[in-house]
Amino acid sequence: MVSALSRKLGRDLVRLWSQAAAIALVLACGVAILLMSLGMFQALETTREAYYDRQRFADVFARATRAPRALMPEIAALPGVVAAEARVAGLVTLDLAGRSRPGMGQVLSLPAAGGPPRLNVPILAAGRLPDPEARDEVLVNAAFAKANGLRPGDRLIANLNGRKRDLAITGTALSPEFVYTLGPGALMPDNAGYGILWLPDRAAAAAFDLQGAFNDVSLALAGGADANAVIDALDRLLAPYGGTGAHGRDQQLSDAFVTAEIQQLKAMAWILPPVFFGISAFLVHMVLGRIVALERPVIGLLKALGYSNLAVAGHYLMLAALTAAAGILLGWGVGTWLSRALAELYAQFFDFPYLVWRAQPGPYAVAGLLGLAAASGGALQAAIAAGRLPPAEAMRPPAPPRYGRTLSDRLLAGAGLGQPAMMVWRGILRWPLRSGLTLLGLALAVAVMVAANFLDDALDKLIDIAFTQAARQDAALILAQEAPAIAVEEVRALPGVLMAEGQTSQPAILRHGPRERRIGIEARPPGADLARTVDAEGRPVALPPRGLLLSSRLADRLEAGPGDVIEAEFLTGRREIHRLPVAGIVEQYFGLGAYMQADALAALRREAPRIGAVNVALDPAAEAEFDAALKDIPALAGTVMLTQVRRSFEDTIAQNVVIMNTIYITVAVLITFGVTYNGARIQLSERARDLASLRILGFTRGEVSGILVGESLVLAVAAQPVGWAIGASIAGALAHGSQSDLYAVPVVLKPATFAAASLLVLAAAAGSALVVRRRLDRLDLVSVLKTRE
Amino acid sequence: MAETIYRTRGLSRVYATGAAAVRALDAVDLDVPAGEFVVLLGPSGSGKSTLLNILGGLDRATGGEAWFRDRSLTEMDEADLTRYRRDHVGFVFQFYNLVASLTARENVQLVTDIAADPMSPDEALGLVGLGPRVNHFPAELSGGEQQRVAIARAIAKRPEVLLCDEPTGALDSQTGVQVLDALAEVNARFATTCLVITHNAAIREMAHRVIRFQDGRVAEVEVNTTRRAASEIAW
Ligand SMILES: Nc1ncnc2c1ncn2[C@@H]1O[C@H](COP(=O)(O)OP(=O)(O)OP(=O)(O)O)[C@@H](O)[C@H]1O
Ligand SMILES: [Mg+2]
Repeated sequence: MVSALSRKLGRDLVRLWSQAAAIALVLACGVAILLMSLGMFQALETTREAYYDRQRFADVFARATRAPRALMPEIAALPGVVAAEARVAGLVTLDLAGRSRPGMGQVLSLPAAGGPPRLNVPILAAGRLPDPEARDEVLVNAAFAKANGLRPGDRLIANLNGRKRDLAITGTALSPEFVYTLGPGALMPDNAGYGILWLPDRAAAAAFDLQGAFNDVSLALAGGADANAVIDALDRLLAPYGGTGAHGRDQQLSDAFVTAEIQQLKAMAWILPPVFFGISAFLVHMVLGRIVALERPVIGLLKALGYSNLAVAGHYLMLAALTAAAGILLGWGVGTWLSRALAELYAQFFDFPYLVWRAQPGPYAVAGLLGLAAASGGALQAAIAAGRLPPAEAMRPPAPPRYGRTLSDRLLAGAGLGQPAMMVWRGILRWPLRSGLTLLGLALAVAVMVAANFLDDALDKLIDIAFTQAARQDAALILAQEAPAIAVEEVRALPGVLMAEGQTSQPAILRHGPRERRIGIEARPPGADLARTVDAEGRPVALPPRGLLLSSRLADRLEAGPGDVIEAEFLTGRREIHRLPVAGIVEQYFGLGAYMQADALAALRREAPRIGAVNVALDPAAEAEFDAALKDIPALAGTVMLTQVRRSFEDTIAQNVVIMNTIYITVAVLITFGVTYNGARIQLSERARDLASLRILGFTRGEVSGILVGESLVLAVAAQPVGWAIGASIAGALAHGSQSDLYAVPVVLKPATFAAASLLVLAAAAGSALVVRRRLDRLDLVSVLKTRE
Repeated sequence: MAETIYRTRGLSRVYATGAAAVRALDAVDLDVPAGEFVVLLGPSGSGKSTLLNILGGLDRATGGEAWFRDRSLTEMDEADLTRYRRDHVGFVFQFYNLVASLTARENVQLVTDIAADPMSPDEALGLVGLGPRVNHFPAELSGGEQQRVAIARAIAKRPEVLLCDEPTGALDSQTGVQVLDALAEVNARFATTCLVITHNAAIREMAHRVIRFQDGRVAEVEVNTTRRAASEIAW
């Protein structure tokens, strides 16, 4: 049989359902976000680890121009290396049936002996590996095949180093190297336009004239091996053969993106849920404190009947725990749903063979326990107070609170306020802790909104600076080999080309003190107008005649500023080391960049200026002719259509921002409602007698409810500036937490953001205060005065 | 001669709150024989409730000693006092002190849930004549009925003592008589010792013994040779 105390618990919950629901909803937000970020974080990390392990993802990667195969035994013998594999790699243009625009392909060779490679092993999704002897068979990555509707047996045309070849697809595969498949110059994966092509060694070597040689090497290291030592040794071995600098997984593009995503989930898990848990704890504290105060006689009675202090404290703790349980269950539900949605989103960007988000007990337990801890933490003080209340004292009505004439009272009196206004201010000042916490709660609601809108503005700015100001070209043509600067004239002569500017990117290691970083130094002609360097406000910064411009994040990594001298070890040509002054800092949100004038670079290296890519502005009316012309240029490794990059970036961002904003607005309204509604309800219960007395004395409903609603609104208004400040720091923390070498989000806070946050929160506060006011209007004056409290 | 159920020697309770200390009980010596119906009278503030609270284990003395049978109440710790209240004492208060969200039966069940050898809630409610109202919430009962629920709750555990602090204080005379009848009935049937505080001097005619309080001291103890039934008392 259900005990009487449990029945009381159940009925109390039913009676308090609206307040309990407000708390449960806020708690649910925290649980859901924590569950999602923690669960997804764990799923990504374990999946990645298992995938890398099973497919033997390499630890060190390097490229060279042309290294003899005979070098391999020496590389494999480096201390710490357990496996080494050489490949032939190169970019090709693809002519895909049904696509007017040429696509781009990354060719990788399969081992000469046949069979799958020993490192970076692709998983066959369909079909078979190409025959090692075949010259026209190819394995492609599954995402590319799917996006283009290609199946084993279908054919595609590749422009292999100037020769058009008709290749038969034997199978599709997934590879640990291409979980996030980003083509050159792209910001988002474009599986239709960029594919991975595995060719038999013989065919690949023939296509790139690398018989008996390789230009790509991967190493697996023994556990505990010193990766930096191996990288240095590999660099030394490859230097004579045009090695462009070995690197670890941290600079492997695909892995870097997965790592960045994992890091972002972690940032989300640590920044947002504590806000919700804090507010839930505060709300429980406030509501339960009031209930215990109201139930003093019941507490005394229970003790008189022989219930122990523990049983009484447990009874009230249980009230909080059941509320928390409702919030946790809801949070688990919503979190599961969010996780599924996020897993689907990831499936669009990440090619894991089996990233299925499975409900793991760990994150559920952690999110649930933290939620429970927050509620219990909030309940603890009230529950302990209930447990400690001496029974004899509980039976007596509480002593009326002492309204002494404090300093604040004298100030208030001096202000010449009317009685109702006095009551509002007294109420606020008499419970400074509670008023302060209410204010903080509302401020957090404002902060959540500011942090949400910040992202919107930040991405607007990012798009404006990255595309409208910096990368303004319509397309970038990537040359198969570096060419004399004069080659730009040939591009200029192509149909539809309005402007053409050459540029080159030279791999180099930049050093400043103990810090170093492998980077591509981009060199452009002075006065380049299509690809520009810009400052944080988007104003173009001219390339200096001497020295380097560093992107701000690269400058941070190197701890270098204007005037400092950087040591640049070029990894191409004569491989000289030059000392270059930092001439200025520029803004670059994608990747880490270093820039200099093409003439200055050529002079430094004592070479004629060369270009590796050409940026063009296109006549929109002649795009078809331009596309057609591209398919017949043998020297072209690929084309990046920036118009398309821009569009897909904006679409993806727009979609994500809408989702994010909806979530954040819901959350802010919930917090505001939870805080204001509970606050006003508590005041109503505390001051019902006072307010009813005022009504009996002849005050109108409006005047009386003004006192009640007034307190909530005064606190809501005072919370705004605090909320702005907290919001700005949350925005900063989110931007900082999601920043990596790959990308960064600027912190942009506009007055409109603050205004919108305040408007929403004030409206929600006014709304919930009005709900309580309706209760006050229905207040039965006689019964209030008759009840003993 | 009946055994003594409560004995106090030099029992004192000083409240230190406020500017001056208040001597609510000032060295009270008292013996209460088991099975009696005892009435405590005295002016407001004379210390009646304070004494009852200490004897019931709700409050602690600041000096002197009190025994329940051979057990020293003044030496018990929190947990002992809780056990003592649970096992031996039934309380009835002036403001019925029912839990508003529980029905009459459930209010009684609060006690039967934790008592060692309780009667059933329905039986207890039947004893005070509330059999048909067991499923009513306090708000649906009159003041007298509520107080009878409180008595049912107090007797349901078959306590050895019933401590009643102004049980009729909030009731009209007729309802008060019903309540007192119920108490007298329990006293007679189960030989439960009853200590009843009242401001109504007429009630003393029901008692075996009348203890009069004045300024925190026992001013007078009077033993009745002839008792009257509650219904015979004129208010
Ligand atoms: N918590 C307390 N703090 C300070 N003084 C108290 C407290 N409780 C009781 N007193 C004082 O102790 C004295 C005795 O109080 P008690 O409640 O025992 O009186 P009483 O005889 O029951 O009075 P009444 O008939 O009015 O109920 C009174 O002077 C009272 O003011
Ligand atoms: Mg009293």
